[in-house]
Amino acid sequence: MPCGLFYERYEKDESIFPTVWLRFWMIALGVFLLTFPFFAQPLSDALGINLLNLFNLFFIYIVGAHGLNLLTGYTGQISLGHGAFMGVGAYTAGILANLGWPFWLALPFAGLMTAAVGMIFGIPSLRLKGLYLAIATMAAQFILDYAMRNWEALTGGSSGLAVPAASIGGFEFDDDFKFYFLGLAFAAGATMYLKNITRTRPGRAFVAVRDRYLSAEVIGVNLFKYRIMSFGISSFMVGIAGGLWAYYITIISDEHFTIWLSVQYLAMIIVGGMGSVLGSIYGVIFMVTLPEVLLIPAETLTEIWPDIFGIFASLREMIFGIIVIAFLIFEPDGLAARWHTIRAYWKLWPFSY
Amino acid sequence: MSRKILVTALALTLCLALAPLAMAKDIKVGGIFDITGPTSAVGKDYAAGAVAGEKYWNKKNVLGGDMLKLIPNDYAYKIPQAVTLYKKYKSVDRVFVIQGWGTGDTNALRPLVNKDKIVYLSASYDGNLTNPKKNPYNFFIGTSYSTCIRLAMVYAKENGAKKMVFIYPDHPYGKNPIPAGKDFAKKQGLQIGPDQIVGLRAIDATSQLLAMKKYNPDFAWIGGTTPSTAVILKDAAKLGLKTKFVINPWGFDENLPRLAGKAAEGRAFGLLVVAPFGANVPGMKDVVASAGGKNYTLHYVKSWVSMMVMVEGMGRAKRAGKLNGPGLKAALETLKDFGTGGLTAPITFTPTDHRPNTSCAIGGVKGGKIYIEKNVTFPRMPEYIGW
Repeated sequence: MPCGLFYERYEKDESIFPTVWLRFWMIALGVFLLTFPFFAQPLSDALGINLLNLFNLFFIYIVGAHGLNLLTGYTGQISLGHGAFMGVGAYTAGILANLGWPFWLALPFAGLMTAAVGMIFGIPSLRLKGLYLAIATMAAQFILDYAMRNWEALTGGSSGLAVPAASIGGFEFDDDFKFYFLGLAFAAGATMYLKNITRTRPGRAFVAVRDRYLSAEVIGVNLFKYRIMSFGISSFMVGIAGGLWAYYITIISDEHFTIWLSVQYLAMIIVGGMGSVLGSIYGVIFMVTLPEVLLIPAETLTEIWPDIFGIFASLREMIFGIIVIAFLIFEPDGLAARWHTIRAYWKLWPFSY
Repeated sequence: MSRKILVTALALTLCLALAPLAMAKDIKVGGIFDITGPTSAVGKDYAAGAVAGEKYWNKKNVLGGDMLKLIPNDYAYKIPQAVTLYKKYKSVDRVFVIQGWGTGDTNALRPLVNKDKIVYLSASYDGNLTNPKKNPYNFFIGTSYSTCIRLAMVYAKENGAKKMVFIYPDHPYGKNPIPAGKDFAKKQGLQIGPDQIVGLRAIDATSQLLAMKKYNPDFAWIGGTTPSTAVILKDAAKLGLKTKFVINPWGFDENLPRLAGKAAEGRAFGLLVVAPFGANVPGMKDVVASAGGKNYTLHYVKSWVSMMVMVEGMGRAKRAGKLNGPGLKAALETLKDFGTGGLTAPITFTPTDHRPNTSCAIGGVKGGKIYIEKNVTFPRMPEYIGW
């Protein structure tokens, strides 16, 4: 019996779930996720957290975070515009839904629309790198944000835009329980897509562009094509996330898609781990759960000290910032890397060396 | 080291999670307030008043042993955040009544509230919410914004106004009552100049006021909150405008003289839907006592009255044996000339009309303090239900 993981064929090395145990755990996770909504209600009552809502937000943001991770983690192009891109997807889906388009048509169209917008704002990436690209995409954020707020005929302005619930073939996903399965399907699909795209030719080109764009160009990677492609795919995914969000919340307003959301997306992949599929998932779970968990002490302590919830409301964002800084200092590779260390520790225990 | 932290964190989360289990069953009330958002300057006192009201009625034990449990949360004036909180209140806390806040989110939640039969008492006095045919579960306790505009126009007309301008923020809160105001202006024969948009977080309104100066109106309506109102008043004084300002219920409070200084005197006239904090009315004694020595603004009184009306409705619903959403709605609709101890004009809800009252006071600023100039009443006309 081999004392480690040895691959004898390239296919095995490339396989997504190389070991039996991993396959077992993945199936267990699948079963858990599929049955979770059926016992979520008592759990929510015990914890005081709306778990189904939390999971639905996980699913939506996972799709978007995968998108940003592809662009920033794999291709090395920073974007501070993904909050607004999500808004483009949400508004496209919302407007089309109000025009009577069915869900299965409006959602992909929202993705395509966002991809087009993302590719336009991605053009500067040919010339700009790092900070300069960050500022250029931030400009996209402000332009789109302004348009969402002030193009009232299209977006409903500050009153927001009501969106009907998603429905496929007469089946309405109009509550948290039903939407869960829709969200789960999209999150799983996006995860498989990201995992697979990194194993293809474009995926390897993305990584080459990230690691050393000059060498990549020398060995024949078309920088312009792959940067724009990365922007396109990334925006497509975040647009789908926006569309899903619109169908989930059923009312969209520009307040949600500000620079704060863009920063939050970046924080998700930084906390989770850039350039790692698991990273965006961990990041989303962490960043979405944190504010919900911070609500619990506030709600409980209000009994004793009535003013505390007001203080907690302001503290939430500060704690948020402190945690991001702490991650950058102590775990710059994110939760995914931390998870690997923990796993390795137990695997080798007690004979770690 | 890291495992120790993990274990401690897990233990802590478990403790916090299990804490609510240990407590008795109460009547839960959802609270959606703005503590950190653009309207937080007035939202903080409103939230404080609601929390104090909860404590006060629990101490008085008016619900025969049932305890109110208000769950206050901040939503930073973001509509989606309000929807998320609403979902939590509905499916986790299973509330049948919510104390809400803004116009945008209250209107956004209307369809959900009606579907789930949850009574929604808002701090938005949007006239749109007063039509029970469309919004049977929406209630509020102050004179509606559109009625306020009408009263302001009557007041302006009495003071010789011929031309008027609307200044408001680009929010549903500012925008929604404007069509009603313009409609009434026609009936009053007032001329209306071009609207000016001043945001809730504005720190300068010079360009808007310069544009307004060209039109030179006698009166202008301000539909913002206190900080932006103070900015407008100060800039108007700086530019030497002769225009007087009538200000909606959330832009005129005890803080205005402090923020605007001399600029407010003789220039600012606010619509007061509740008595100012500490005013000499019978109901105010308990309000001031509940504040524990702190000096709040009249927004504290508003949420106090909102809680008072809710508790009264709960008491009636309980006696009818239907302490739930539809029961509370029906109970609130039996309120007739319900006295709030002078904190507001008497409140009446009927199954066909959810306007609480149509009377309020017009206040001014003198010597760094606000005072009540006169009480005004608009006739309760059926054609104005719902706007």
